[in-house]
Amino acid sequence: MHEMSVALEICRMAEQRLGMDSGRLVAVGVTVGDQAGVEPENLAFCLEALLAEPPFRGATLRIRRELGDALHLGYLELVDDARQDD
Amino acid sequence: MRVRTIEVRERVMARNDEIAARVRARLRADRVPSFNVVSSPGSGKTLLLERTLADLGAEIRIAVVTGDVQTQNDADRLARHTDRLVQAVVTHGACHLDASQVEKALEAIHLAATDLLFIENVGNLVCPAGWDLGEDAKIVLLSVTEGEDKPSKYPKMFQMARWVVFTKMDLLPHVPFSLERAVSFARAVNPDLQFLMTSSVEKGGLAEWYGFLRSRIARRGLVTA
Repeated sequence: MHEMSVALEICRMAEQRLGMDSGRLVAVGVTVGDQAGVEPENLAFCLEALLAEPPFRGATLRIRRELGDALHLGYLELVDDARQDD
Repeated sequence: MRVRTIEVRERVMARNDEIAARVRARLRADRVPSFNVVSSPGSGKTLLLERTLADLGAEIRIAVVTGDVQTQNDADRLARHTDRLVQAVVTHGACHLDASQVEKALEAIHLAATDLLFIENVGNLVCPAGWDLGEDAKIVLLSVTEGEDKPSKYPKMFQMARWVVFTKMDLLPHVPFSLERAVSFARAVNPDLQFLMTSSVEKGGLAEWYGFLRSRIARRGLVTA
């Protein structure tokens, strides 16, 4: 039920990490433990809806499930789009 | 096209927990015991707090922060029993309070002139278990009109709580609720839980509830009548 709150917080963390980085976000890695009190499929539904919107422009979500109560933003993947001088 | 990876490995609850730690430090600086009151919807949180404000309001300076998904009906009900400010937080759809909402609500409360703080959470036995609000302890209410196996169905909430208050005890003769089994289910998920039995309608067990609250205040070295 609170997966949207969790998804919004993950997006806030991602935006903060990206900061002024000029790279384009292509993937977001999230770890969800089976005791985290979060339903992974529900979280994926919420996060995918948010990641489809600016500033994320359709980044792919990867959820890694594990045992325990972990709930964290694991990593962000970015690509640097081709520049004129490349 | 080269893919770069930024390792983050940051807990999603880190920001909430950081704010909760600030709230806790602030409450402890003013020596205000604080309870996060949680339960299913309709378990009797608001009525128990109404009784408490009406009966102890002249003796103990009680502040309340209420959380509701919509409306501030609970805050309005409680405000009728106290001259002190009752802070309403409307979550607009969110199924729980978070620490930032409590921190903001506390801005309007004069903590140095407060003996006890109740945070009445949104009625929900799932989500509020995961959000630290900076309280001293969670108190979970379980009414005898609910299933006695709630502790087994919602273990995290009962693991996170320190006290269980059974409510609507006046209805016990009329419902198929075994207190013994409920206690047993609760102890199975958290052996350290302590229990109180109350009826807010018939005022049964309220003396013990009030005694419990006075003892928590006394432990902080505050003077009560």
